[in-house]
Amino acid sequence: MAVDPLIELRNVNKYYGELHVLRDIDLTVGKGEVVVVIGPSGSGKSTLCRTINRLETIESGTITLDGRPLPAEGKALARLRAEVGMVFQSFNLFAHRTVLQNVSLAQVKVRGRGRQEADRRSRELLDRVGLLNQADKYPAQLSGGQQQRVAIARALAMEPKAMLFDEPTSALDPEMINEVLEVMRQLAREGMTMVVVTHEMGFARASANRVVFMADGRIVEDRSPDEFFTDPRSDRAKDFLSKILKH
Amino acid sequence: MNVLTDNFSAYGAGFLGTLELTVYASLLALALGFLMASFRVAPVGSLRIFGTAWVTVLRNTPLTLLFFAVLLGLPRFGLVLPFKVFAVLALGCYTSAFICEALRSGINTVPRGQGEAARSLGMTFGQALSLVVLPQAFRSVIPPVGSTLIALAKNSAIAGAFSVTELLGTYKTLNELGYNIVWTFVWIAVGYLIITLAISALFHALERRWGVAR
Repeated sequence: MAVDPLIELRNVNKYYGELHVLRDIDLTVGKGEVVVVIGPSGSGKSTLCRTINRLETIESGTITLDGRPLPAEGKALARLRAEVGMVFQSFNLFAHRTVLQNVSLAQVKVRGRGRQEADRRSRELLDRVGLLNQADKYPAQLSGGQQQRVAIARALAMEPKAMLFDEPTSALDPEMINEVLEVMRQLAREGMTMVVVTHEMGFARASANRVVFMADGRIVEDRSPDEFFTDPRSDRAKDFLSKILKH
Repeated sequence: MNVLTDNFSAYGAGFLGTLELTVYASLLALALGFLMASFRVAPVGSLRIFGTAWVTVLRNTPLTLLFFAVLLGLPRFGLVLPFKVFAVLALGCYTSAFICEALRSGINTVPRGQGEAARSLGMTFGQALSLVVLPQAFRSVIPPVGSTLIALAKNSAIAGAFSVTELLGTYKTLNELGYNIVWTFVWIAVGYLIITLAISALFHALERRWGVAR
């Protein structure tokens, strides 16, 4: 897919003390592309996802978003983060706010929308993820799957150019995974640019344009899902796939 | 028993003095403690250092020494204010160090992901702190902040030694007038109890209204 690059990582390196968690990462995500990042735990895939909106800093290399390098701190960084939605493994809904307020808060405080306009848009998004009837509840009153769908609506409310998903279904009971994946599949169909760290191989096969396989802080393979799943090149990927596809 | 009725105006003046010191110093301590707690978790290194130094110096200085430093020290630098204002400054700054640490422990009870989610939505550090983290931290710090303000009310007695009118100081006058020392102190203790129990009740109500739901 030779399209406009939206997210570009060049020669990115990151250390946790002695531990070299990201090694010379080069990754380009084009507009409208869905890139699924998989790999064994500790391979650096979550860290990679978090560097893209600078929740993790990097030691060397460059990250550009829509052609602009990632600012270091302050207001410029905040503005840029508003353009990139993020969905976390642990949902991270604001515990002291209702579902509706969760979705509206940043629209009002960051985008400067009026309360009513923000709430109207929030209700549309909640309707879209099938949770309009839960708008006045608090996050703790919802199931995990419902919370994660609210979190997706909250990120979409900022009208982001891209969405990052950091293991969005890993904390969910099996029967709730599908309701979240369905929302993600729909987003992918609508052409949202997505970087998804996940263990859901079904999602990777069906919705990804590319699969990025990571191990030990490196990108080992970066190919179409068909090629990757039917004919992995590296031993590391073969080993990984044999372990997860058998159970 | 007639200590109180005979000297109601002296007790009243002392009680109001202590009440005033407590209220003003509490407000100052809460404002400064809030500011210093923000500094201590800020992404800016110099602010963190300032906050840490503020807490270290004030928390480890005996309050009486701090009173001496403020009441005798500041006038040397040309800052001359009524003793009562100096006393509020000393008490407020001293207590702010404890408030700061209580708030900071509250901030640490809020899961890291809350702040990350706020920032990932484009909120600045200040917005994430004030809209997401502190409102949740506030719930868990109500009891320790209440205790700290009760300690402040009692610490205000030190101001009496620096000729600020306050409750404990009334014993000197009454003692010279020959009243029974035990009853003098009983009524002083009752005065403090009124203030400290009022603070307890206030924080109990706050906790019922805002505390962490279990």
